[in-house]
Amino acid sequence: MARVEFRRIEKRFGDVVVIQDMDLVINDGEFVALLGPSGCGKSTSLFMLAGIYMPSAGELRFDDSVVNEVEARDRNVGIVFQSYALYPHMTVQNNIMFPLRFKGVPREQALPKVREAAELVHVGELLDRRPAQLSGGQQQRVALARALIKEPQLLLLDEPLSNLDATLRLTMRTEIKALQERLGVTTILVTHDQLEATTMADRVICMRAGRIEQVGSPDDLYSRPASLFVASFIGSPPINLLTGQAQNGAIRVKELSLPCSGGVSGEVTVGLRPEHMHFGDTGIPGRIAQLEPMGREILYVIDTPVGHVRILEGGSVAAHRIGEAVHLAFEPDATLVFEADTEALLPNARVLLPNGGAAAA
Amino acid sequence: MAIPAVPAAVTQTHWDRLAIRARWKRRAKSTGLYSFLIAVSIPIMLPYFWLVTIAFSAKRGVAETEVLWLSISILVPTLLAYWIWSIFARNIGQLLMGFLAVTAVGGAAFAVYVLPELHLRNFIFMVETNFPDVVRSRAGEVSGGISFPNVWQAFANSLYLAGAQTVIVATVASLAAYYLSRFQFPGRAAMLRSLLVLHAFPVLTLIVPLFLLLNFVGLLDQMLGVILVLVGFELPFAIFIMKGFFDAVPWDIEMSALTDGASRRQAFVKVVLPQVTNGIIAISVFSFIRGWEEYIFVFTFLIKNTNWTMSLYMFFVRDDLMGVDFGVVSAVGVFYLIPSLVLYVAAQKFLMQMSVGGVKG
Repeated sequence: MARVEFRRIEKRFGDVVVIQDMDLVINDGEFVALLGPSGCGKSTSLFMLAGIYMPSAGELRFDDSVVNEVEARDRNVGIVFQSYALYPHMTVQNNIMFPLRFKGVPREQALPKVREAAELVHVGELLDRRPAQLSGGQQQRVALARALIKEPQLLLLDEPLSNLDATLRLTMRTEIKALQERLGVTTILVTHDQLEATTMADRVICMRAGRIEQVGSPDDLYSRPASLFVASFIGSPPINLLTGQAQNGAIRVKELSLPCSGGVSGEVTVGLRPEHMHFGDTGIPGRIAQLEPMGREILYVIDTPVGHVRILEGGSVAAHRIGEAVHLAFEPDATLVFEADTEALLPNARVLLPNGGAAAA
Repeated sequence: MAIPAVPAAVTQTHWDRLAIRARWKRRAKSTGLYSFLIAVSIPIMLPYFWLVTIAFSAKRGVAETEVLWLSISILVPTLLAYWIWSIFARNIGQLLMGFLAVTAVGGAAFAVYVLPELHLRNFIFMVETNFPDVVRSRAGEVSGGISFPNVWQAFANSLYLAGAQTVIVATVASLAAYYLSRFQFPGRAAMLRSLLVLHAFPVLTLIVPLFLLLNFVGLLDQMLGVILVLVGFELPFAIFIMKGFFDAVPWDIEMSALTDGASRRQAFVKVVLPQVTNGIIAISVFSFIRGWEEYIFVFTFLIKNTNWTMSLYMFFVRDDLMGVDFGVVSAVGVFYLIPSLVLYVAAQKFLMQMSVGGVKG
């Protein structure tokens, strides 16, 4: 188990800077997620932790020692790859035992450990099979067993669930999280799926183009996103964004004027989450363009003067029809306002409902 | 565009007729195709067949054809009977019974008409080193001027030449291809291109410079000299093929091995190499056959008759005995042919996969 620290880490490939000035502390036993779109440097960070890439600048620390130049084989890091990376020519048993061979563990001592690790992830009866004879979920479990058998001080998961079907993903999510809690191993999950990150991790690190955009609990990222990028990345269905001009306590978005508080001025972007919006008697006028039943909820796409707006309403039966004229209301406390050019959150700014309602307050 | 409606009754009656027409069309097509394939394969198959029959049956030294036609007149009806029976058999039991019957009849005809004609006297060269003189005196001619080595010596030389060459090519090509596949270095692209350009050189153009070169370094008339020359010619293509196989091995499993505690070399040997065994087998077989059939270099660079390979032996037998005894020449040919034939048949499965690895160059 280890505490991991990135100190002004930079990684370049030739002239391309992939990671810039990364500062991050991951505490002992913590489960964190590195979240970001593809190409944001999250996998590169992971490979630096594993010792496959060497940082170009800065210090990478495990506990109190700098490990920049320590080879992958000496780091005692367990890693589960997106493709699982099982050795195709070996049986499951030999796959799981592989790390022990390099630790000089004799076979008779290794075998019970292999069986124990296999039982832990429920693949005990598959030991004689080869990877090609396993389903995706089973391969994933074997990969997990192989990563855990060396009792790693750090467990790295590189998009571990992206090759599984939806149901299995849900199961594995719960299982991996439970396993991590039980073993208490410091775990870093790399993913581009915000749901995976927020459901599994204690803390989420949102990355963009080689920089850390925000570090915080899943709730921090959802309710108090530091930037427009985080706001649009977290949340499903995605947040509605309206860009307009703020002046004299109101934001003008095309022909619509939304009153606002917090003394905002200049160009801003307003973020309204679909789940924080509802149909009202007053508010933004519009017409229902499309509706998508999602089972528990219904997603409406509304044609408004400011473009398409998505709103989420509870219930499985649609209360409105396509073409119906409606008004959209929202909760002013849940609104987000960002400065348009820096994309930073204006923490005190709130948008209020137009003509009447909350605007009167 | 409107689709013209077809009255239901009309289409109904047409289906059966259309099905019959399609069936006949299919049959006519496959009959035509098979007839064509058989017609073009006859001129290819016949010489091999003749080589084998004459080697085992020629008695008078001339180019005899009686046994050839006799055996063909048994073989062809037998094959036809198999084919026809496989069309008419209704189940697997009938099929096997029919095949058994055809085999019995064909075998009996072979035993009665062909078997008494067969003998091994043409294989005199396997026991009698000075067999050309024996053969000549049998034909009432004076002895020739060429002194032959023991055929087993030539056989061993060929084995050594082809085997040593194969081992070097397989080893060097695997290592070089792995490096080309995995590492970036200046001149990599140019090297890959030149690999193919090197293969474009007609070998004959280099024979004089190579002769002088071998003479200077003192490897003329030595097996090692020819082996090195062959390795030089074989390597580019082998490297190219192997690179395709290595390219198909995912990086992940290699990285996984590194984090599992393997060194770079251990990862190569224990994880990567087992994924490309088919490629190694394929290039080994091709190199071996290339060495086994090598003629032009051994003819130029090897002089002593104790250095003769099977191809040289074959050449001088042909030179000395052509027109004296076709049977003996054919027997030497069969003897020369068998090892490469056995190798091809044994390795066929692996050779078929070569294009799979090769396309990803």
